[in-house]
Amino acid sequence: MGKLYNAIFSAGIALVLACLMIGVKLDTDGTTLKVHGASPEQWSWIIGGIALVFLSQLFADQIDAAFGKIPKPNLSNLIPEGDKMVRLKPWLLAGVFVCMVIWPFLVSRGSVDLATLALIYIMLGLGLNIVVGLAGLLDLGYVAFYAVGAYTYALLSQYFGLSFWVCLPISAGMAALFGFLLGFPVLRLRGDYLAIVTLGFGEIIRILLNNWTAVTGGPNGISGIDKPSLFGLEFSRRPSEGGTTFHEFFGIDYSSTYKVIFLYLIAVVLVAFVIYVINRLMRMPIGRAWEALREDEIACRSLGLNRTAIKLSAFTIGASTAGFAGSFFAARQGFISPESFTFIESAIILAIVVLGGMGSQIGIILAAIVMTILPELAREFSEYRMLLFGLTMVLMMRWRPQGLVPMKRPVLELK
Amino acid sequence: MKKFTRTLLSVGTALCLYGAAAQADTIKIGLAGPATGPVAQYGDMQKIGVLAAIEQINKAGGVNGMLLEGVIYDDACDPKQAVAVANKIVNDGILHVVGHLCSSSTEPASDIYEEEGVLMITAASTSPSITEKGYQMIFRTIGLDSMQGPFAAQYIINSVKPKNMAIIHDKQQYGEGLATAVKNEVEKAGIKPVMFEGVTPGDKDFSALIAKLKRNNVDFVYYGGYHPELGLILRQANAKGLDARFMGPEGVGNPDISKIAGEASEGLLVTLPQSFEKDPANQALVKAITDKGEDPSGPFVFPAYSAIEVMTAAMTATGTTDTEKLADYIRANTFKTTTGELSFNEKGDLKEFSFVVYDWHADGTKTPVQ
Amino acid sequence: MSETLLYLIQQLINGLTIGSTYALIAIGYTMVYGIIGMINFAHGEVYMIGSYISFIVIAGLLGMGMVSLPLILFIALVIAVLIASTYGWTVERVAYRPLRGTNRLIPLISAIGMSIFLQNYVVLSQGSRDVALPPMISGGWTFGDPSLFEVSFSYMQLFIWVATFITMLGLTLFISRSRMGRACRACSEDLGMTNLLGVDTNRVIAMTFIIGAALAAIAGLLLSLYYGVVNPFIGFMAGLKAFTAAVLGGIGSIPGAVLGGLILGVTEALTAAYFPSEYKDVVAFSLLILILLFRPSGLLGKPEVEKV
Repeated sequence: MGKLYNAIFSAGIALVLACLMIGVKLDTDGTTLKVHGASPEQWSWIIGGIALVFLSQLFADQIDAAFGKIPKPNLSNLIPEGDKMVRLKPWLLAGVFVCMVIWPFLVSRGSVDLATLALIYIMLGLGLNIVVGLAGLLDLGYVAFYAVGAYTYALLSQYFGLSFWVCLPISAGMAALFGFLLGFPVLRLRGDYLAIVTLGFGEIIRILLNNWTAVTGGPNGISGIDKPSLFGLEFSRRPSEGGTTFHEFFGIDYSSTYKVIFLYLIAVVLVAFVIYVINRLMRMPIGRAWEALREDEIACRSLGLNRTAIKLSAFTIGASTAGFAGSFFAARQGFISPESFTFIESAIILAIVVLGGMGSQIGIILAAIVMTILPELAREFSEYRMLLFGLTMVLMMRWRPQGLVPMKRPVLELK
Repeated sequence: MKKFTRTLLSVGTALCLYGAAAQADTIKIGLAGPATGPVAQYGDMQKIGVLAAIEQINKAGGVNGMLLEGVIYDDACDPKQAVAVANKIVNDGILHVVGHLCSSSTEPASDIYEEEGVLMITAASTSPSITEKGYQMIFRTIGLDSMQGPFAAQYIINSVKPKNMAIIHDKQQYGEGLATAVKNEVEKAGIKPVMFEGVTPGDKDFSALIAKLKRNNVDFVYYGGYHPELGLILRQANAKGLDARFMGPEGVGNPDISKIAGEASEGLLVTLPQSFEKDPANQALVKAITDKGEDPSGPFVFPAYSAIEVMTAAMTATGTTDTEKLADYIRANTFKTTTGELSFNEKGDLKEFSFVVYDWHADGTKTPVQ
Repeated sequence: MSETLLYLIQQLINGLTIGSTYALIAIGYTMVYGIIGMINFAHGEVYMIGSYISFIVIAGLLGMGMVSLPLILFIALVIAVLIASTYGWTVERVAYRPLRGTNRLIPLISAIGMSIFLQNYVVLSQGSRDVALPPMISGGWTFGDPSLFEVSFSYMQLFIWVATFITMLGLTLFISRSRMGRACRACSEDLGMTNLLGVDTNRVIAMTFIIGAALAAIAGLLLSLYYGVVNPFIGFMAGLKAFTAAVLGGIGSIPGAVLGGLILGVTEALTAAYFPSEYKDVVAFSLLILILLFRPSGLLGKPEVEKV
């Protein structure tokens, strides 16, 4: 009986929620505001929705049971353990890498471009993972460092004509510098205070970029940013003055797909580099210290670890990764403006880290791919796209609160 | 069973062939613009114009025996998504695009179209920097900020002659570009604006700004931006007793501003392209659009319509869909369209695009200023 | 009075008005944070929905030919508060309660998802255009020397101040005197312990969301009357500002949220008054960072005691 009551109650709530939002529409008639009722079609949708809520509440147990029968995919079990892993790992990595390199030649240009975008988010996710997942510092303004990286490359390329490859380390350095400068005073703040300060910092950087028209072009952004070259070979249709193009050098026909594939391959290499560096760092004392600090700050201090230095290193390294991703983003876009670096971008990167299972690199890579491809797949739903995206975020969190691939710490047990 | 399989196969093959044949008979035209996000309503204007044009042309038998088909792509006015959309359009083999809408989306996307030989005509992006790179494939059927700004400035200098002028903009590409153009032009004529500053788009509270305008005894304000902000500025200025006249670009010139500002929108000056929906020659078309329950009065509806007209006229004249030939033809010729006779310069911009100063009324109507 | 002083007074009036609405929204953030330690990012959207409901009710009543302004406002207030509270309650039930006890970032992401969902839900049902109401309460006082600078203080601004004050008073009484208020305070001290003592903490948490949403709806009604315009995107910025206000005052403290809101509003107005107004957000956020550097727990927040 309680069940029925519950179901009626939920349906009632759904009715109230739907009636005054979907059921009526504000419209202007001339210059006066009018309220219209919904069309019969909309009402049938509302009634359908309410019926769904009613039934799902009424049969909640049965549905749960049915869902319980579907085995929850435990992705982390797919990864072999122990000795087997040690033997397999180099082969596995090599295999993945080779697939990543061959793959773009087999698929369409749009997919390669999308994969490049996914790789940018993988870089961002991995970078933020150091700050949030490993060091446990909540950063809501990560996009600021991404912007710093992008603008560093764009400005250096525009004013001094420096090439992508020279700017890449400089961008990472600049972003790291900003991370350091911000981190130094604010890292003594606790969790959520740190979150809002970083959020504020992200907004400050964006507004400054938007207002400093003389240098950054303000809202006009910077356009015509050079694309990366391969040892001086350009990927354009016609060579710039004194330059050689890739297709002329190799004597093949021009195809713009080369450029897309080339950008993709750069992204693959950058991601591989970032993964390598982070993996090394995680095994070094500094990486252990990050995790130790996250787990118990007081114990760390008692053991003589310098709290500020550890937090600052995580913050700086995380920022430099964003700088990397930023300069690559600028190269891929060819045009940047402050509106690419809004708060929602930070939120999506954070969602990637959390959805992936904080700390777990494989999880983050998967999550970044999901979060990039999902809105593209949802293009079919046109205006319902973002609605579904938001809903999926909520449902994913309910479905796997621990993330897609929860992090596994190496455990030693005495037998 | 075997027979059944064979039948199935042949039906399948036939269907495939039919599909391929149908494919060859349509020219796909990409329509890139925001279908979601805060500026989706401007995307709708473009969509209304393009789809109406496609419908009319298909009704008249299509182009070169082929029908047109509009394919809609949503870039949400986000530059990152615009690049993805451009790549997707190239990927889908579409060679003719109307779009994008926001200048910040058009800029990165036009790079890709140029490289790929996709013909793009934008009906809404007004930033001058888009065509400054010497593109072959990029055209537009709308006037530039660098045309509209000086036009407004001339009117201010010659007719308004303000004592204390202020220029406000919304810190976006469109608004700030126009505001700067106006500022440069009036300064040449010796009018020095007492204020030149930006507001945050999406903001609702302008009371501090209005107090400042009052303090500076401003009697004339040029606003570069869109109607939601200016509408609120007008409304709040009216409530606070600020006695100044306002002027804005086509971004403020739609009936929504009177809904927001009410009485306060009376007497606002707006520079607009000629209102093509009022042109007697276009009345049949306006009726066709209103009959579908759509609004023909948006500033981008007719430029979008004429973009399709230019494209198809070039296709008919050259007898191909080859974009290089089309681009050459479009540069070399003059087109008779619903927005008047259009001809393009080397950069792909309209040679001339005339604006009119309108006096806005509180009921959302407008009359041309003499 | 000199012209400079009159101008300053005008800007302070403007700042306090916008500040009091920040404060109303900030209380929702701070109460939820105080009890379950979670940032409810969807709170700004509840405020936006509250604004829409007020608009719908007002437009509907006007359309039915009702003329009595106080009655219209009262009905709009009641319905907006009821519906927004239902939304607040549902959001908590659907998106946060199942996640209780997980890592505190999980509900945060769920909240961001909820915020995107609600925003688009309103876009789809009401369209993305601005909808506007004609001014309902117009007029006001002016004082000062017309030849120097005339300060205006509208009835609407006074209405917002009074409404905010009454709401705060009501909330303070509720928290300090009522049984439920006591339970709320107990929960914010120690959730687990309160539960052990036989208080239905789930109910208390649901109540917190309902109160927060109700306050957001009041802010929604006031602001939609003041500005006369609403669109589905107002929730995001308002939420961000209110969150900043809550942290500024010390998140978890209700007087802190009010103080933070007022300081933020005044700062914005004064920045816009004496500097180019495009820098007002920069100054607001910089002030936040500065205050947190010297008072790491906000102005009225309790300093965190570190325990092993």
